[in-house]
Amino acid sequence: MAVPGEEHAGEGIHVALSAGQLGTFLGLPITNTLITSWIVVLVLSAVALLMRRKLALVPSRFQTLLEWAIEGVYDYVAEVLESRTLARRFFPLLMTIFLFVFVANMMEFIPGIGSITFDHIPLLRSVNTDLNAPLALALISFFVIEFTGILTLGFLKYGSKFITLRSPVDFMVGIVELIGELVRVISLSFRLFGNILAGEIIIAVAIFFVPFLLPVPLMLFEVFIGFLQAVIFALLTLFFIKLAIAEPHGVHEEAHAHA
Amino acid sequence: MDELFNAFGLDWRLLLIQAVNFGALLFILWRFLYRPVLRIIDERRAKIEEGVEKAREADARLAAAHEESESIVGKAAREAESMVAAARLRAEEKGSVVLSEAQKRADALLADAAARAEEAQRRALKESERDIAKAAMLAAEKVMREKSA
Repeated sequence: MAVPGEEHAGEGIHVALSAGQLGTFLGLPITNTLITSWIVVLVLSAVALLMRRKLALVPSRFQTLLEWAIEGVYDYVAEVLESRTLARRFFPLLMTIFLFVFVANMMEFIPGIGSITFDHIPLLRSVNTDLNAPLALALISFFVIEFTGILTLGFLKYGSKFITLRSPVDFMVGIVELIGELVRVISLSFRLFGNILAGEIIIAVAIFFVPFLLPVPLMLFEVFIGFLQAVIFALLTLFFIKLAIAEPHGVHEEAHAHA
Repeated sequence: MDELFNAFGLDWRLLLIQAVNFGALLFILWRFLYRPVLRIIDERRAKIEEGVEKAREADARLAAAHEESESIVGKAAREAESMVAAARLRAEEKGSVVLSEAQKRADALLADAAARAEEAQRRALKESERDIAKAAMLAAEKVMREKSA
C-alpha cells in the first residue's frame, strides 16, 4: 500500500516525519519525495504537451473539461482580484499550485507506490509528507504575495501596513499584521504537510489492523482531503494576494474622511 | 532549531530543488497549457461574437428586405388599381360613343322607313284615284248606253 511513512521494522508501525534519503547526486541529497515530485512534474508536463498538440477550436471532450476548469478558475481569480490583467498575471501560479499539490496528493493512492524500496527505503513517497515541498510552496507563495504588495502599492505604502506611527493602536495592529504575515508561511506549509501525513498515518494504521475494506472509506476521505488541501493552498494564496494589493487601512479611512 | 529542522528533514538544498521543480512546472504549464487554452477560449469567444454580430446583421437585413418587399407589393397593388380604373373609364367612354352612333343609325333607318312608307301610300292613293275615275267613267258609259238603248 501507498504508505511511505510506514516501515515494517519488525512488527508495528514506524512513522517517519522526514523523507528517506536515497543517495546524493553532485553533493545534492536525493530523497524519495524529490523523485516523486519529479514524477508529478513529468506527468503534468506530459499532459500539457499532449494537450497542446490536440487543442482545437472545436474541442474534444477532454479539452472541454480542461477549458471548463481553466476558464472557471480564471474567471474566479478575475472576480476576486477585480481585474482581468491581474488575473492573467496570477492565474498560472494559482492553477499550478493547485495542480501540483493535487496530483502530488493523488500519487499516494497509486497501489504499490510505497512497496518499491531502494536500499530498504521506499523509492517513492508522497510529496507533501515531506515538509520541504509544502514549505517551498509556502515560501514561493509568501514571496509572490509580498512582492506583489510592494510592486502594486510601492515600498513605503506597503510597509505602512505593518509599521506605522500614526497612533499606538495602529502601531500594535501593524506589528500583529507583520507577525501574521510571517506566520502564514508556517501555517500554509504545516496545514498541507500535517493533513497529508496524518491521512497516510491513519490509512497505515487501518491497514495494519484491518487490511481489507476498512481502509477504503478512509482512502476515499483522504482523496477528498487531498483535493481540499490543494484548493485551500491555492485559494489562500489568492486571498493573500488580494489583501496585499488592497490599500492600507489608515489611508483608506483618511481618503474616506477627505471625501 | 537545528534539531527541529532535522526532525522534519528540512534542508535548504531540498527546498531550493523543490522550488526550482515547481518553477519549471509553472513555466511548462503556463507555456504549453494555460496560454494556448486561454488563447483558444479567447479565439472561440471572438468567433462567437462575430457570429452573433453577423446573425444580428442578417436579421436587420431581412427586416429591411421584408419592408421593401411590402412597399413594392403595395405600390404594385395601387398601380394595378389605377390601371383598372383607367381602363374602365376608357371602356365606358367607348361604350357611350358606340351607343350614340347606333342610336343615330337607328334614327336614320327609322326616318328612311317612314319616308318610304309615305311614298308608297301616296302612290297607292293616286292609283286608287285613277281606278275610281276609270270605274266612274265605265259606269257612266254603261248608264248612257242603257239610256240610248
